[in-house]
Amino acid sequence: MPAENMGRVPRSLRLALAVSSAALLVALAISPMKDLRREWKLYKRDYTRFAQTRPDTKRLLADSHPGIDQIWIPEMGVVDRCTTCHQGISQSSLAGASVPQPFRAHPPIPHHVQEWGCVVCHRGQGPATELAEAHETTLAWEQPILPIHFIQGACGSCHREDLPQTPQLNRGRELLANLNCTGCHRLQDMDRPQMLGPDLTNVGTKLSREWIYKWLKEPRTLTDADGNVTVDGVENEDEPRMPWFRLTEDELRALSAYLSTLRSKPVEAYKISPAVVASWSKNPALVEQGELRFRQMFCSTCHSLAVTRGGETKLVGGDIGPELTKVGTKVKPDWLVAWLRDPHGYLPHSKMPRYGWSDEDLFQVTQYIETKLTDPDLLKSVPDLGAPADAEIQAGRRLFSEKGCAGCHAIEGVGLQKDFGPDLSALGGKNVSQLEFGTSKIPRNLISYIQAKITNPLSVNPAARMPQYNLTPVDLDAVTTALLGMTGTPATSGMEKLLVPKRHAAFQAAGEFGKVYERYKCYVCHQFNGDGGTLAPDLSYEGSRANRQWLIQFLRNPQTLRPTLVLRMPQFNMSEQEAATVADYFGMVLQNPDVNPASVNRQDLSPQQAALGKQLYDVKYQCQACHTIGSTGGYVGPSLNDAGNWLTAAWIEAWLQNPQALVPGTIEPRRAFTPDEIKALTAYLLTLKQSPAATRAAHAGAAGGQK
Amino acid sequence: MNSRLRTLLVIACLVLAGCSRENRVVKSDPLAKAYDSEVDWNDPQHIIPLSYEQAQGKRIFYQQCVWCHADATPAGPSNRSNVTPSPPLMNDGSILNPETDENIQNTIALGGSAVGKSAMMPPYGKMLSKDEIRSVIAYIRAIATPPYQPPANAASAYSEK
Repeated sequence: MPAENMGRVPRSLRLALAVSSAALLVALAISPMKDLRREWKLYKRDYTRFAQTRPDTKRLLADSHPGIDQIWIPEMGVVDRCTTCHQGISQSSLAGASVPQPFRAHPPIPHHVQEWGCVVCHRGQGPATELAEAHETTLAWEQPILPIHFIQGACGSCHREDLPQTPQLNRGRELLANLNCTGCHRLQDMDRPQMLGPDLTNVGTKLSREWIYKWLKEPRTLTDADGNVTVDGVENEDEPRMPWFRLTEDELRALSAYLSTLRSKPVEAYKISPAVVASWSKNPALVEQGELRFRQMFCSTCHSLAVTRGGETKLVGGDIGPELTKVGTKVKPDWLVAWLRDPHGYLPHSKMPRYGWSDEDLFQVTQYIETKLTDPDLLKSVPDLGAPADAEIQAGRRLFSEKGCAGCHAIEGVGLQKDFGPDLSALGGKNVSQLEFGTSKIPRNLISYIQAKITNPLSVNPAARMPQYNLTPVDLDAVTTALLGMTGTPATSGMEKLLVPKRHAAFQAAGEFGKVYERYKCYVCHQFNGDGGTLAPDLSYEGSRANRQWLIQFLRNPQTLRPTLVLRMPQFNMSEQEAATVADYFGMVLQNPDVNPASVNRQDLSPQQAALGKQLYDVKYQCQACHTIGSTGGYVGPSLNDAGNWLTAAWIEAWLQNPQALVPGTIEPRRAFTPDEIKALTAYLLTLKQSPAATRAAHAGAAGGQK
Repeated sequence: MNSRLRTLLVIACLVLAGCSRENRVVKSDPLAKAYDSEVDWNDPQHIIPLSYEQAQGKRIFYQQCVWCHADATPAGPSNRSNVTPSPPLMNDGSILNPETDENIQNTIALGGSAVGKSAMMPPYGKMLSKDEIRSVIAYIRAIATPPYQPPANAASAYSEK
């Protein structure tokens, strides 16, 4: 190259250099440009612009800075950057649906975002800075945000004890227990009860093979063409405890053959006194009398019957025991008498109390059941099954285990099968990749999976042994919510410390009282120190509340205390001694430490105080809005007609001071009475007494009027 | 002509099929029991979606208020007829819409007698928290018929913390 040309670059090369430099500059600019247009930065700028349209711009932008916002709570393992976009989350002026997302304020909840972060409740990915990664499932980050409709499931991850604020979650947990899910699955914080389905050791003495066939084919329910569930031909919203197992004809024949031969312990037929039979069997009022006794025993507190009124058929009654509309066609007559006399002789774990029925009662009620609660057409659709063949019995015995029947039903000599289905105690925290969707077309997420599994188990797994449930959409969502809350042991020890454990109450009734308690199954309806049913009032502090004499009388002849309630306490025909045992035990053990019996002395309360109390009751506080005295007043609270005999002075006083302290959740609001007013109201209430005759009349009226 | 006849026949069959089911059990809409929506009390076809706060208000309403402020209650009979003067139905916008949030808050917290109304309305201020009462008001506003129109400068319902 000549010297003069040194340093001179050919034109073409210069051009190439210029182009590549420009390209390099552009390439270098892409990154800052992209960075400038990152999703979260756009939201930050949008928020600034949005804040400028609001009257309180200054306050809205007070904490604003250009970087990523982050809530970091090391002990809980929380790194949440959600507030980078959700910038108005704790700005009170941005509440309400009119504010566009993501800037809307969070509604008031007990947990503040700065102390808890967001993903603890909402799930999703806290550290993500892009909308799709934060909210949805990606290959790297699988946990999607929890749809707001199921948000109570997140409460359940930590709050293992039911909260009043989470009705959907509580209902779901209740359904999981009622539908016997623990028969096959392990569930977080749910114990397997002693008995799920009835013990079938002796079922052949109770049922015919035909009925068993029908029941297994359509376990009390059928789904009709409209998708409605019917119970023995009556539509019903409640799911029966026995689900539908999709059995084939051969399986139905085999199982019905096997079960109908189970009679290891023959029923001891009870002979109703021939004199009673002779005097009543010709009486035209027999069945009517049986129906009356059926009603007076308050069987409907636990059992329901289909009632048709004005062309509308519906089930009336409780759901603690089975529905009885067609029970006369179901059970054998000898069995029925033996059962009513002593249910625990047949099923030791039955919830049915042992009534002290007379022969008249037994005869009348069984005649009523066998005459009126029947349906001659019930078994018409069942083919002629004939006597069970040996091969069928053997096949049935095998199927009983293979189908998981032994998960819920015990048969002497056949062990209960625990954990027949998969463990679901950590299902709510599972990632999509851990679920088997099979060939189904449902969206790939946990919620769709759970719902498909419950409504049609075969859709996600053609070999599923899981029976089919037919829940209403609301109940299905409730069960889903409860399952989403079952996330197992928390990921960090910091979170584990925050768990609110479920209280496992176990009330042990001791001694003589224990026998009465078991015989009449008090705990099926009443709570004792957190253990028992919720149908009837909590009796944990009954000894502080009720007077002994009143209790004895009430137990022997229960009366209506709460006029709004349809279900009432049955009359058990308790002996005087049994009633006294109960009353004494309540007085000794079921005491509230805050109710001091020595705090008030009835004798110290003067008639003047009682007169003032009446004034306060009638005029100043107008308690008659909710309570009845005589025949006037409201029926939100219990009737106070017999308050003087019923309640102890100390209880009335403590109650007026703070009802919620004695019975949490009671709806009587706490008032600001002065001490003198409390004394006066107590004095007045203690003067309210009803004669025993009036009490009996009230009871007879209530029983007769209840149809 | 032929096709029209067929259509008519099909319609007639459908109508007959519809009539044939007597004894039809009236099944309440399952959404009526949903936790985050409420059926319009005057129009069962209209489902009102509820926010978190309104849903909490619904829960408290059905525990505490429903006995006197509705004509049907979960336990059956309503206590409304036993109370004089008759308490307003909780969806009655003609009575409740003109009341400010603050007025309703005071009536619930302090009771009827404290605000010159019936003493039969007891005070709930010692039993329900401020947030709980606010949520009840949010629920009342959500179900109001005619619908509630918030004033232009709505006081915030958000609790400072």
